Amino acid sequence: MSNRILSLLSVMALASTAAAEVAYEFVPNFITPPPGKETIGDGHGEIAVDSAGNIYVSVQDKDPALAGLQVYGKDGKFIKTLPLPPSLHGFVIRKLGDGEHIYGAVLGEQKVIKCNLDGSIVMEIPTSAFPAEQRDFVSVTKSDETDPKKKTAIASGIRMADSKTEITLKLADGTEKKIAKEKGVSAAGGLKLTNCDVAPNGDIYVVDGYGRSFIFVFSADGKFKSVFGGPDKPLALANAHKIFIDKRFEPARVMICDRGHKRMLHTDLAGNFIGEIATEMRNPSSASFHGDLMCVAEIAGNVSVWNKENKRVADLGTSPAMTNTPGIAPKDWHEGIVTSPHGITFDNDGNILETEWNKWGRVLRWNVKK
Amino acid sequence: MRLARSILILAAGGAVLAPLCVFGHGAEFLSAKLTLLPNAEVLLEITADYGSNPLIMDNSAALEALADPVRLRHHEALVPLSSLGTAKISWHQNWADYAPAAYLPSDTQGGEHALVTSAWRWHSSEPEIVFEMPKGKLHDVLLWTHDATQPEAPPKWMLLLAGDRSRPIPIQQTPWWHNWMAAAGAGGLVLLSSYFVSRNFTLRQRTL
Repeated sequence: MSNRILSLLSVMALASTAAAEVAYEFVPNFITPPPGKETIGDGHGEIAVDSAGNIYVSVQDKDPALAGLQVYGKDGKFIKTLPLPPSLHGFVIRKLGDGEHIYGAVLGEQKVIKCNLDGSIVMEIPTSAFPAEQRDFVSVTKSDETDPKKKTAIASGIRMADSKTEITLKLADGTEKKIAKEKGVSAAGGLKLTNCDVAPNGDIYVVDGYGRSFIFVFSADGKFKSVFGGPDKPLALANAHKIFIDKRFEPARVMICDRGHKRMLHTDLAGNFIGEIATEMRNPSSASFHGDLMCVAEIAGNVSVWNKENKRVADLGTSPAMTNTPGIAPKDWHEGIVTSPHGITFDNDGNILETEWNKWGRVLRWNVKK
Repeated sequence: MRLARSILILAAGGAVLAPLCVFGHGAEFLSAKLTLLPNAEVLLEITADYGSNPLIMDNSAALEALADPVRLRHHEALVPLSSLGTAKISWHQNWADYAPAAYLPSDTQGGEHALVTSAWRWHSSEPEIVFEMPKGKLHDVLLWTHDATQPEAPPKWMLLLAGDRSRPIPIQQTPWWHNWMAAAGAGGLVLLSSYFVSRNFTLRQRTL
């Protein structure tokens, strides 16, 4: 028995040593922007690497020469821009039985796309495929007559009908409420899809991260299967910015960046709570996996690396100031220091690439020390 | 991590605020504009955006967020802002009045602002004030100082997350002799005015 304990302790010691030895070095000026451009363009998206090592960065710039999914070689040199929707807020590149594809959530259009690496779309999950309970959930407000900017909530529920004269809501208790469309009455809500990922069986998981943080499960051919999460217990999510399928575990898990609560958590693939990975973070926004490691983009100014035991093993590019802003201009960038990390990925060799929420667009790279 | 974060926040005091955009997380925090006025008067205007903040869905959620957004540290106690008096609430759509000039929405992202501002005004008996975010708070607070005497100067800011404490912020205590000089000046003006009025009155009487 004591031998077993000693063996276990030895293994743990070795594991912790290995974890402690994870180290990275910053690579300055890695990305070469498109020809004639100083920077890559307005960034509010994601970064990913395909099996050949090419790097994909989503850019939402108004300049059509920059907007879309920019592709760079392993060496960081610009290759081309795929004409995909500029509001590709979150995307992953996954290789399954049917080949290698890009799966992305289009924030501006509230849909999910699956496309080939050349940008040709092979499947869409349109807004209409999402369940009405979440898709049509709205809050109806009325502007104050004396102070039009003051809006008072009337009711929230599923929009069943919306005519010129009234809005009909289905309330949480199952009753219907008709609200006359008087002057100042308006409804707002609906989906705000921020990311998706694919489970080993091909199921597509989509999160409504700027909406009510529900997580939707679709089959590989885009048929709705189930929904979990949302603002209520047991998960009680708030601004679940991005989700990822964590295949470090068997069976795979859903890893949720619950940014509003500054925590990361795991559920099983059915949405049952497994446990918190970490709390009190700098607003986790995105993540990626390589071997037993997970790197995380924390938008308030940090990149962290975690092992499979949920232990933080490295911090990279930590900003001296909490940030969370896209407005830090290139003249105020500091080499190796992040501003507002928004997307992140490991490359195939375990190096880390990070893209920022930044109006000018910024990509940083750290190489793993071997 | 907590200590490191506190140090980072202290270091952030001199940072210059950059523009922010609206969609998604553009207004993902409460904007707390701190104006330091003469005579140790403090004006704190905290604004929530329920038009484009995924953490604040409507007006009532905004008011809830503004009810106890940040506290004042008074020695060992954390004092809620409500103890300073009733907040003045206003609704508007103009970030420019409640955020630094550079705090502009991105032109590549949509979203409509719907802003609620709670304003507290009080006289500070302390030479400096410290704000603190109680643990468990959902809404981050962007605390920035507006110097009314130097409106063109870039604002200083810090982003406070739950459990964070601001650096000590010195209050504009007007020196005692400023008050005496003001009183003496006002008294002198009154005397001069009285003299000229009475002189004028006397001259008129003589003319008549």
